[in-house]
Formats: sequence, structure tokens, C-alpha cells
Amino acid sequence: MKKPRFENLPDEEQTWIDAYVDGTITAEEFDRLQDRMRESPVLRAVMRRYLAIDDALRIDHGDIQTATNPWLDAEESPANIVPLSRKPKTALFIPIAAAAALAFLLGLAAMYWQGLDSSGETSQLTRSETEEPCAHGFAVIGQLYDAAWPDSSNPRREGDTLGAESFHLTSGTAEIQFFSGATMTVQGPAEINLKSAWEAECLAGSVRMQVPPAARGFRLNAPSTEIIDLGTEFGLEVKNGASHVEVFDGEIAVRHQKEEERLVKKGDAWKLPAEGIAAPAESGAISFPDTSQLGSQADSQRRLSWERWQAHRDALAHDERLIAYYTFDSDHNQTDGLVPDQSLPRNSELDGAVVLAEPVDGRWPGVQSALEFRRPGSRVRVNIPGEYPAFTFMCWVRIDSLDRWYNALFMGDGYETGEPHWQIRDDGKLMLSVMVDDSRPNPYSPNDAGFHRVYFSPPMWDISMSGQWMHLTSVFDPANRAVSHYVNGNLIDRQEIEDDYFIDKLRIGNGEIGNWGLPFREEPTFAIRNLNGRMDEIAIFKAALQEDEIAELYQRSRADRR
Amino acid sequence: MPDSHPDTPTPDDAQYERFVQRFAHYEPDLRRFIRSLLPTSTDADEVLQQTAIVIWRKFDQYDPDTDFIKWACVIARFEALAYRRKMARDRLVFNEDILNLMADEGAEEIPARQAEHDALESCLNEMPDKQRRLLTLAYTPGVKVNELAKEAGASAASFYMRLSRLRRGLAKCIESKTLQTGGAS
Repeated sequence: MKKPRFENLPDEEQTWIDAYVDGTITAEEFDRLQDRMRESPVLRAVMRRYLAIDDALRIDHGDIQTATNPWLDAEESPANIVPLSRKPKTALFIPIAAAAALAFLLGLAAMYWQGLDSSGETSQLTRSETEEPCAHGFAVIGQLYDAAWPDSSNPRREGDTLGAESFHLTSGTAEIQFFSGATMTVQGPAEINLKSAWEAECLAGSVRMQVPPAARGFRLNAPSTEIIDLGTEFGLEVKNGASHVEVFDGEIAVRHQKEEERLVKKGDAWKLPAEGIAAPAESGAISFPDTSQLGSQADSQRRLSWERWQAHRDALAHDERLIAYYTFDSDHNQTDGLVPDQSLPRNSELDGAVVLAEPVDGRWPGVQSALEFRRPGSRVRVNIPGEYPAFTFMCWVRIDSLDRWYNALFMGDGYETGEPHWQIRDDGKLMLSVMVDDSRPNPYSPNDAGFHRVYFSPPMWDISMSGQWMHLTSVFDPANRAVSHYVNGNLIDRQEIEDDYFIDKLRIGNGEIGNWGLPFREEPTFAIRNLNGRMDEIAIFKAALQEDEIAELYQRSRADRR
Repeated sequence: MPDSHPDTPTPDDAQYERFVQRFAHYEPDLRRFIRSLLPTSTDADEVLQQTAIVIWRKFDQYDPDTDFIKWACVIARFEALAYRRKMARDRLVFNEDILNLMADEGAEEIPARQAEHDALESCLNEMPDKQRRLLTLAYTPGVKVNELAKEAGASAASFYMRLSRLRRGLAKCIESKTLQTGGAS
């Protein structure tokens, strides 16, 4: 390891340190500085020294005497004799002679500045504000049936958050649940402008609105028409700028062009042309998306998709590279608190024990289940003996929020040599680490656990993704000296395993899914690591799976695959 | 002293003297330790003060056979964490995990910081006069860098740049005086 000298740091780190000390660092630079500090004991050591130098200059040396006289008699050395609550020396007389003294000092600046070669380089002088995290959006996508999207490479999914945006559906049916309580069922092709939890505009397509009393006043606009819902269920179709509205229950207020506002009651239908006058229409002439039908259609689609994955995962269970494979279907864990290892040949020694974690809907709601680790004590305990040359961890997880500093996915109990920790930090970064040598102290942090390195991905989760199912994979691949992280089958980060951190005798022993059994620090903020969310399967391989395999496993196991 | 504060020890003169002696002796160490955890020297001032109060309140619990500065650093760290939580959200302050790392490591470096502080004096003396004066001028309380820059007819950016070069030079000098003998790592 390099000596912790300032000049040995990369240029950008040197720049960040100066900007931090001068208070000119930007929020973005500060984030990067912190990321680097987490990884680099050398940077932290240099930082501490540099801050102490800065502080010494500020409290011991910055004063008028030193500005005018050569300073520092030996007796003045402040190291040992210091009065209690010492203030900077000048603090006493700056207020008294402040104006005169400062003017005098400022005058000196020109004198000292001259003769020094000036530099044309610039530094950041702004300090942007860090934002308070908040969830964007005011609606979520509920059930989908046969939904197709203009950008097929970027399909929307059930649970996606929607904000002020244009919602295009090429075909199929989608349900939008507004946070006001209103529900819109959309039949494609459709184009909807979402404005707020209380307002939307339908430019094309057929929709059914269900507005409970709590969402009364929800406003749906169509070209040339404004509809205010007065607590009801109604349908709206927009085609080539002309609208057709029909009320199934309750009543709505309709203002067409510049006509008087009219109330439309249950069973009534109106034509609202782009030009010309509104006119009554025959009810039942147009078929609007059917909510109950959507429910059963979506349900049967889910069942199909789930059965497809079941067939495939039965094949996966034969993969010889599997160490263990846990799926949290309710029919297993409700009876005896055990989750069987699904890998074949069957070995009941590898079965996990469920502690406090509760069965909830999995990524195929109503069809299959998951385990929720919301309660601080929740976990699944496992014991996996053996020594392995590599690790691949793969799971389907739905994160509700990252409440802890570290949020556990899979953790070896003792963090002894060769044991893995797979978790997510509160800033959304995926972390994988393996203890390299628990007997070798970290030279820079004797209080810390042994010698190891944490491989962080870039942030891959934020609060807007709360409640979405995602597929996470991390690979520890000693043979190729690489650690990789994947989200939904896409490689998001790959880092080299350096010589110092090389280890290829990996173990697990006692471990936990969704929590950490044996934290070695007492602070509760550090120790509690339960995942606030749910997981419905996790696979651990003794080999490094390749990029294409991971992408394929993701594609096959997606709940919205058709 | 009225017993308005139940935590405050009774005014035991001998105990108070022991406290003052120890605290005064270690104050510079403690201050440097705290400074490495927080954004500015002003923040360090506040936390140092608060730490002094807590150390006095808990001084009865201090075992005189143990290392005072280690004990004080534990208290200082928790005061820094508490201060951090109270700070405005827009301040660029270290995350808790980093603050803890810095504290863990910083508590082990007290002697190194002392040696560096001694080296600082001679390094400043070795600096050319004008450079040293410019540096100390910029660190004078009440002086603002952009005002200095204006007076000198320079941009604030170039003034900061100049300052950082001087400071880096100082750090380099201190490192060469204190790191050359310890060949470990």
C-alpha cells in the first residue's frame, strides 16, 4: 500500500480535499469524495492530517502579529500549555479594533500577493444544496394485461411509479392507481397526460374511471371537454378529437367547449364532438375497459407466467453449480418454519429456518408467495458447509425502503476468512465483500474487522423504486480477478480483485438471508440489518455465472414475461 | 454551585482540578480529533465545548488508570454524531459511517498528530517570508478570502488556488519530517 502522503493521492482527490477545507466543494464532488473515503484508508489518513494542519493554521497562526512580525518564539509553542477553553488569540482584539485591523490586513494582501506567480486555474466556488430525498410521482401502475408499449425495450411494469408524464399504451389494458384514490383502467391504443393525483387528460383511447368518495373532485379532461367526477364510475372514449362519455354509477359534471356545465347521471351517455354542440347518446353503444375482467385476465396471465417459470426453475435445480436454492412458496414455510433447499440432489441439511419473517405475496401476487423481512428480528438462518472457488448470489427482491445503514441480502455470520457479505447500503449501492484474512488487522483501522474490501456498485435503487420487484446478482470471481454486480440482468459494475485482496477458498458456514446474525459492533444503527422488503427466491452458486446466463435467467424468471 | 444539574458532580475541588489538568493537557489532541470529523473549525469549536461539558459531567466514571484521551475521544465522537444530526441538511457533512471510520482511525493517531504539529512550526519557518505571510493572513479570523483577493487584484479562484498550493507545500514538508522514519505500511 502506498504511503499516506498528500502528493501520492490522485489529482482529483487532492482537489476535493482542498475544496472541502475551503468550503468550496460542490455537493456532487462531496459525494464522490465520501465514496472514495469509504474505500481508501490512505485518503482518510491524509485527510485527517490535512484537516489538522488547516485547523492549526486557523487557531494558532492566523493573527495580526504573525502577519506583521516573524513569529514564533519557542516558548509560544502551544502543544502542552493550553488554557481551558482557549479561543483563537485574535478573538480578543478583533472586535475592539476590528475595522482598522481588517482594513490594514486587507491592504497587506496586495503586498504579499505580488511576486507570486498567479495561476489561471479556477476552482469551484459554489456549494450546491443537497436535496432531501422524496418520492417522485403520484400514481402507480396496478394490474397489466397484454400491455404493449411504444418503446418495447423499456416496458413499464406493475408497481412502476408514475409522475407528471405522458402515458402511452400501444395495446392491451393497464390500470393506473392515483394516490388520491381514483383508479383509471386504460384500453390501448391510448395516450394519457398525467398531471397530478387529482387530474389527468385523455388525448386518445378508452378509459374507465372509478372514483371513491375520498377522491371526489378528480378532474379528467378530454379535448374540448372538462369532466369533474362527483364520486362515481364512468367511461370516456376519445377518438380523433371527439369524445364520448357514459356514467355507470353516481354523477359527473361535464363542461363541453363554452357550453353550460351539465350534470350527467347514472345510465346517461353524451357525445362531445371536437366542433359543434354536445348531444345525448345511446348508452351501452361503446364498450369500455372492464375492470373485473381485467382482474381475472391478469390473474390467469400471472398463473401462466408463474407456471412457465416453475418449469424452468425445476430445470435450474439440477444445475451442478448450485450450492443452495431457496424459494419462499407458502406451502413450504407455513407448516414447519423451514424453507427447503431446492437444489438437487436433495440435501435437507441445507434447509433454512424461518425466524419472524412473514409470508406475503410474491412477484406473482395471489399465485405465489415471498418472505417479508420488515420486522427487525426477521431472518432465514442457514448452515452451508464446504469450500468453494467462487460465488454467484442471485435473488428476486422487492425493497420497500432502505432504512438501515446496511440492508442485508445474504450474510455469513462471523465474517471469518472466506465468508461473504452481500447487502445494500442506504444510498442504494449494492455491496459484496469476502473476508480475505480475519487474523490480519486492517493497518488503518485496528478496531475494524479483519482484512477485506467491499466492492460497491453505483447506486441502483432510490425511493421511487419502492415496491418494485427487481433481480439482483453479484459475482465474486477469483479466477478472473473480478467482482461484478447486475440489476435485472444488466451488468452495472465490474471491479478488479487486486493481489492484496485475492482469495479463492470461499466458505459460508452459518449465515442468514435478509439479516445479519452476529454483528460485532454494539451500536444499534450498525447492528440491525434486516431488509425492509421481501424476497421470493435466492440462489447461491459455487461458480461465476456469465453475463449472458444472468441475463437469460432474469428474462425467464420475470413475472411480466409473456 | 447550585445543584441545578443533577448530573454535575458536587464541587469537589480536587476532582475539578484533576479534570482541568487533564482536559487542558489533551485539549489540542481532542480538538484535532474532532476537527477531522466535521466540516469547519467553527463546528469543531462547538463540539469541543460540548465535549468538555460532558467529560466533566462523566468525570466520576473515568478510570484514571486508563488512557484519558481514548476515553475522551469516545465521548467526542458521540458529541460529533449528535451535532451532525442537528446540522442543517444543506451542510456538507460526512455520512455517519465515514464519521465513524475517521473517528476509529483518528483515535489511534493522537501521537502522530502531535509530531506533525511540532513539525508544522519548523516547516512554517522554512517557508519564504512572503508565502508564509500570505498563508497566515488568509487564516486570520475575520478575513475573507474573496476580500483579500479583491485587495490583491486577483480573482477569488486564483487566490484559493494559491492558498491550496501553499498549504500543500506545508503538508509535504510536514509529511517528509514525520513519515520518513516510520517505514511500515
